Amino acid sequence: MSGKVKSLAIVAFFCTCVPLLSSCATLGPVYQKADKLPDNTGLVYFYRPSSFIGGGVAYDIKTGDNNVITTLHNGGYFPYFSNPGEVEFWAKTESRSSITLDVKQGQVYYVKGTVGVGFFVGRPHLIAVPNDVGEKEIVDCKLIPSPNKEEEKEHKGKQ
Amino acid sequence: MWWITMIFRNPVLSIILLAFIGVGCGTQKVIVPQVDTTTKANFFISGKIIYEGKQEYLPSTIINDNTNASPIIFKYTYNTIYGKDNTPQVLPLFNPLSLVGFPIGGNTLVVAGNMEVIKKEKVVKSYTATCGFDVTRNLFYEGDTYTELRKEGLLEIKRNIEIQMYLERENLVSLLADE
Repeated sequence: MSGKVKSLAIVAFFCTCVPLLSSCATLGPVYQKADKLPDNTGLVYFYRPSSFIGGGVAYDIKTGDNNVITTLHNGGYFPYFSNPGEVEFWAKTESRSSITLDVKQGQVYYVKGTVGVGFFVGRPHLIAVPNDVGEKEIVDCKLIPSPNKEEEKEHKGKQ
Repeated sequence: MWWITMIFRNPVLSIILLAFIGVGCGTQKVIVPQVDTTTKANFFISGKIIYEGKQEYLPSTIINDNTNASPIIFKYTYNTIYGKDNTPQVLPLFNPLSLVGFPIGGNTLVVAGNMEVIKKEKVVKSYTATCGFDVTRNLFYEGDTYTELRKEGLLEIKRNIEIQMYLERENLVSLLADE
């Protein structure tokens, strides 16, 4: 193999691997059910079962007023304590997926995230699943660190 | 890819391609029961309303009577059921026809509403309406999101129940009249 071809192969390898690895995250412990809900909140579990298809794609889950709840990684889950009422959750890559829940106090909801085929990047899909299905599918998922905690860590590291 | 170039150079094949794209996408909506949607529900009746949700989804044919003396109660509830997308994601990934608009997935949503008219702790009348959506996605058409479908569905069942109540207004008024 000539030197030029070899260097091209190395560049191609990095171009393939870097985007794949860029969305990998350090996930926490395996799913544990929340013991207690804070007063006047409902609990929404966002989860994404581990899958080879679109595994390298991660996307932010946001509320209707653009607050980022978490970045949903392959094989991860995140518990979100929501205020009661009609709440919109959405995610976007090259297309937008959105779901609205009627969150009731003390109730638990499961929202499953998947990645579908897209032109340039996988497209997010959010769907509310029945609790019995969600409880089964979430068991192998690992906790996604809270975005606030990650920011705190970065801040401490800089200091 | 040679076959894409061939399609775009040939007008007949281009038309077939566009037809595929057009046919393979879309939203199907079914509402049960079917009512004449041109009917204007110029009618309202008052009673105590039991409802948890946004005011815009509540049928406007009922008005809340804040006085506790009202023997009539309207209990309005709705429910949304999300369908499972049964299309395996690996299939469109390796299906070259996905590039010409073959379906790559779908969203299914059913919104059901129920209005119970209660008089003296007894349900005297019940109105139900159901609205179902089936959205087929392809690479060129993602369709409405669940949020948009839910809102449309809730407004459809609201309108449906309003018309049902309007069409039965005389019967309903006589049912609720004081004995």
